[in-house]
Amino acid sequence: MLSYILRRLGTGLLMLVALSMLVFILLRVAPGDPIDAYVNPNVAMSQAEMEALRTRLGLDQPLPIQYLAWLQAAVTGDLGYSIQRNGVRVLPLVLERIGPTILLMAAGLAIAIVTGIAAGILSAVRRNSPTDIGFSVVAFFGISSPAFLTAILGLYLFSVVLRWAPSGGMLTPGAPFSAGDLLSHLILPACLLSIGHAALIMRYMRASLLEVLNQDYVRTARAKGVKESWVIMKHAVRNALLPVVTLIGSTVGIAVGGAIFIESVFNWPGMGLLLINAVDTRDYPVIMGATLIIGACVIVVNLLTDIAYAAVDPRIQVA
Amino acid sequence: MQLKALTRTISVAAFLGATALTTSVAAQEPKTVTGGFDVGPGGFQGNFNPLAATGGFTWLNVYFEPLVNYTADLTAIEGALATEYSINADKTEYTFKLAKETWHDGKPFTSKDVKFTVELAKNGETGTVFAARLNAVSSVETPDERTAIIKLSRPDAGFLATLTKLMILPEHALAGTTPKELATSTWWATKPVGTGPFKFKQYVTDQYVELVADDDYRLGRPKVDRVINRYFKNTAAAVAALRAGEIQFTYVEPDDVSAFRDNKGFHVIEGQSFVVNYLGFNQQVPLWKDVRVRQAVMHAIDRQAIIDSLYGGAATVANCGYVAKQLVPEGLSPYQYDPAKAKSLLAEAGWDKINGNKPITWLTYYNTPQAANVMAAVQAMLAQVGINVVPRVVDTPTYNGIIYAGNPDFNQFPLVYAGLQNGPDPSGLNIGLNAAQKPPAGANFLRIDMPELTKAFDTALAETNPQQLNARYQDVCKAMNTNLPWATMWVANRYGVASAKLKDFVWVPAPAGGPYNAHPEKWSIEK
Amino acid sequence: MSAAVAILGSSKGPTARALGRFVTNRLALAGLVVLIAILIAILTYPLWWAYTPNQIDLRALNKGPSAGHWFGTDGVGRDVFARLMQGGRVSLLVAVISVGISLVIGFLVGAISAFSGRLADGAIMRLVDLAMTLPPVILLLVLASIVGTGIVPTIAVISLLSWPVLSRMVRARLLELRERDFVVAARGMGAGMRHLLFRHGLPNCIDILVVYATLQIANAILLEAGLSFLGLGIAPPEASWGNMLNAARSTSVLEQYVWQWMFPGVALVITVLAINFVGDGLRDAFDPRSDLQ
Repeated sequence: MLSYILRRLGTGLLMLVALSMLVFILLRVAPGDPIDAYVNPNVAMSQAEMEALRTRLGLDQPLPIQYLAWLQAAVTGDLGYSIQRNGVRVLPLVLERIGPTILLMAAGLAIAIVTGIAAGILSAVRRNSPTDIGFSVVAFFGISSPAFLTAILGLYLFSVVLRWAPSGGMLTPGAPFSAGDLLSHLILPACLLSIGHAALIMRYMRASLLEVLNQDYVRTARAKGVKESWVIMKHAVRNALLPVVTLIGSTVGIAVGGAIFIESVFNWPGMGLLLINAVDTRDYPVIMGATLIIGACVIVVNLLTDIAYAAVDPRIQVA
Repeated sequence: MQLKALTRTISVAAFLGATALTTSVAAQEPKTVTGGFDVGPGGFQGNFNPLAATGGFTWLNVYFEPLVNYTADLTAIEGALATEYSINADKTEYTFKLAKETWHDGKPFTSKDVKFTVELAKNGETGTVFAARLNAVSSVETPDERTAIIKLSRPDAGFLATLTKLMILPEHALAGTTPKELATSTWWATKPVGTGPFKFKQYVTDQYVELVADDDYRLGRPKVDRVINRYFKNTAAAVAALRAGEIQFTYVEPDDVSAFRDNKGFHVIEGQSFVVNYLGFNQQVPLWKDVRVRQAVMHAIDRQAIIDSLYGGAATVANCGYVAKQLVPEGLSPYQYDPAKAKSLLAEAGWDKINGNKPITWLTYYNTPQAANVMAAVQAMLAQVGINVVPRVVDTPTYNGIIYAGNPDFNQFPLVYAGLQNGPDPSGLNIGLNAAQKPPAGANFLRIDMPELTKAFDTALAETNPQQLNARYQDVCKAMNTNLPWATMWVANRYGVASAKLKDFVWVPAPAGGPYNAHPEKWSIEK
Repeated sequence: MSAAVAILGSSKGPTARALGRFVTNRLALAGLVVLIAILIAILTYPLWWAYTPNQIDLRALNKGPSAGHWFGTDGVGRDVFARLMQGGRVSLLVAVISVGISLVIGFLVGAISAFSGRLADGAIMRLVDLAMTLPPVILLLVLASIVGTGIVPTIAVISLLSWPVLSRMVRARLLELRERDFVVAARGMGAGMRHLLFRHGLPNCIDILVVYATLQIANAILLEAGLSFLGLGIAPPEASWGNMLNAARSTSVLEQYVWQWMFPGVALVITVLAINFVGDGLRDAFDPRSDLQ
């Protein structure tokens, strides 16, 4: 177990380095002089000072050496300055956006997991009943509808027409912070974000549970006269959950993608909105900084799910 | 059945959330006016530096103030921070009597601040957009704390209009910063100090700006406690928030007006935009050198049809930069819609050799659905005569970044779709068309250099006789009509919608957001 | 499963058996029929439809569906049906080409990885892991900000994203194959990589490729729509389903001109749904276990 975790940690670290290489290359391919990203626009600099900075940053060096210098700066938290926002440093700008995104995604995922698994169990247990067919149809539509369309329609229906939820933002402007306020802003985008995911989880849960219910030990339990609902909850669901857990872990990346559309439509102040605004204004240092941080987060999350999976499933040590 | 239960749970949860929100707002909240003040073409979200402002003056004017300001009907200029002003006979000396006011941080406002601000605005290092417009200023004198005298080296008919946009800044807060640092200082967005009826409280990045009442404002304490300017990615989002009751005011697209017209809960505000829309020909690319090509563009576009259909008739065809009757002379070429003539003009000019059917990027910062429709219509009309333009829509910062770049790539904007203020003071067009106003000095980013036009502007700006002024601007109009630095399109009406709960609320769709004396201290809101 | 089909199945090759199973899947067949109908419509529409997608008509703005304009007109009087058809062409073209490219990359990377030594295999798979790290939409945004908008950049961006999952599946399949006698024999006889790839690899992966391609086309359509919606994919006035849906951002269009966004929305969802049905049907059909149930 320990050696497995260590091995996974090692690859995670390697991936992070490779990711940083990718980001670095993209940063160099992007139009514009890379030095612009490092000059604090607040500070007036002469041509000579610029050249000195260029030398110090190693921008007159061959690319691999430049990469190492950039990596060193990035590791110490220096991701440069935003071009568009009055010379704000990239790192704090990105960091302050992580919280809202995690909140939105966690809420969306939680809703998706609960509804998806519940619907999956119901569908599998009542296979081919109207409930099953109903859920399956909804799930198919959930998978096949673009996130931004459901977001727009949801916003229109629940905010503009029904006025059940605010039309955007994370907190009421100027109001003192309150959990209720946050929740009222969160619930609609989180529900809309969860749709596609809930559909995916429901389908996996249903298939996985059906398979388990067909297996010998479940039949044995049933034959032994254990109560049906007990069989399902205690034996079958637990085992059927395993592949679903991996699915959830591996779709965090996709959830980030979906969150971008939701954040854009609901003006949610997260990484997605930051990234879209940065792309709109071609603010490359912010784009690259955000990409690096998001990538790092995904790597860490994948790592954690792998470890969690190993903890749940003893077979993994052999594999 | 389960689904029903599920939806019920979700709706109950949503309802609980919504009630939580409404109760938290109702709990003895301070009186707040929330609006999308920087939505629409007059706004400039994310800009806090009045020296760099090319728009957004409605909002800046809530916490900063200029010396003089337009009246809310935009017909005259009256005092603001200056209670009165006088001009000497040869129009070279402006004397301002200053109001007694304190800065938001408690320090007194004096004539020194005026001198400091004018000098700052003249200094190109600050990234100011006023340097060229204040060219005529030779000195600022401060005989006492309440008097400022601005001396000009030559008469400048547009000087007072320029001053309305110059927000007075506090010397005591900014003197320690070098002009170059000021350009991008974080001071503007974190702790700016002004003299207006509201003081800056905070800017929550990309979400909103919050101002609170200035208790000792000289014209009386504001009737509401807070004013909040919410940011929206587009007008549609602001309209959704308005309809959801979260904001009380926003600019709206003409398409949206019909939904509010018959609704008792809202007032529709309509006004002339004072902005002439044009297709701007970049003079640094070889496409538009021949005036026949420019004429062909004019003849190829059915402007009246576009106005009748896409603007619902609420716009006026422009055959030069002006549409106001007193500024438009007799005998202008009307450039009637005539695709055949456009084709023959192109053939004469040898368009096939100049460009032929190659795509031409058509850059714009107008990112509204209506503008997209207008551009699609113009694109189709130009395609009919063999000019293949491809719209490229960017947001305002990117647009400014491209056209004002230190070393601009002219191929990125061979053609633009833009607007420029042509009123209430007609000199507004000067900065975009005068050869002396090429960047970095001014806003003539198309590098238009047409001697006849430049001369007409210079004469008009130097005119000291008010009776002759209109005739001078008629000459400008004539020169534009013949030389076609732009293919002028129209001047459209613009709209805002305010909640009926707002009382004494003043807003007009002024170009670049004004400024004008909106007296935010008088705004109030019913529960 | 009916006995007739089972017998039919066992007497034929695996592909024919899969086909036999597929035709008994009503949902998948319905999807296929809908898909073919949509394809025929968007491919042939210029022959039987009076309007072209970019033809403006300022006298007929925002008109609702009628006998002349089945799906109404948009804000500049363009025919929504014609734009829908043209948008379908663009959306499907982008999807099909990008999936085609990612299919080639995915197969080659997976197969080469499977047939190479341990070291190369490990290196390639780490690369694949890396490509899977970044959330697709993020990478899409980053790439789009560098390469700009338009059909070709959109295709490039989508195809660069879709191959890693496929290459993993191909590798997993071929790793089993590698130890089989005939492959070992072929290698012993000095068969080159090309021989291994196309003689042994490809036939054994065909089911994975077909199923993956089908489902991925549905994904690519959604990705294109999302990109165009954000203004980074297909730029107007070129029609695509994504940028037509963009009109729904305006509340007035959303409420008053329902036909301008509803039809592209319905077309998009139905197409993706149909492809998903077909894809699911194909997956079940290729799955040997489905006979046992």
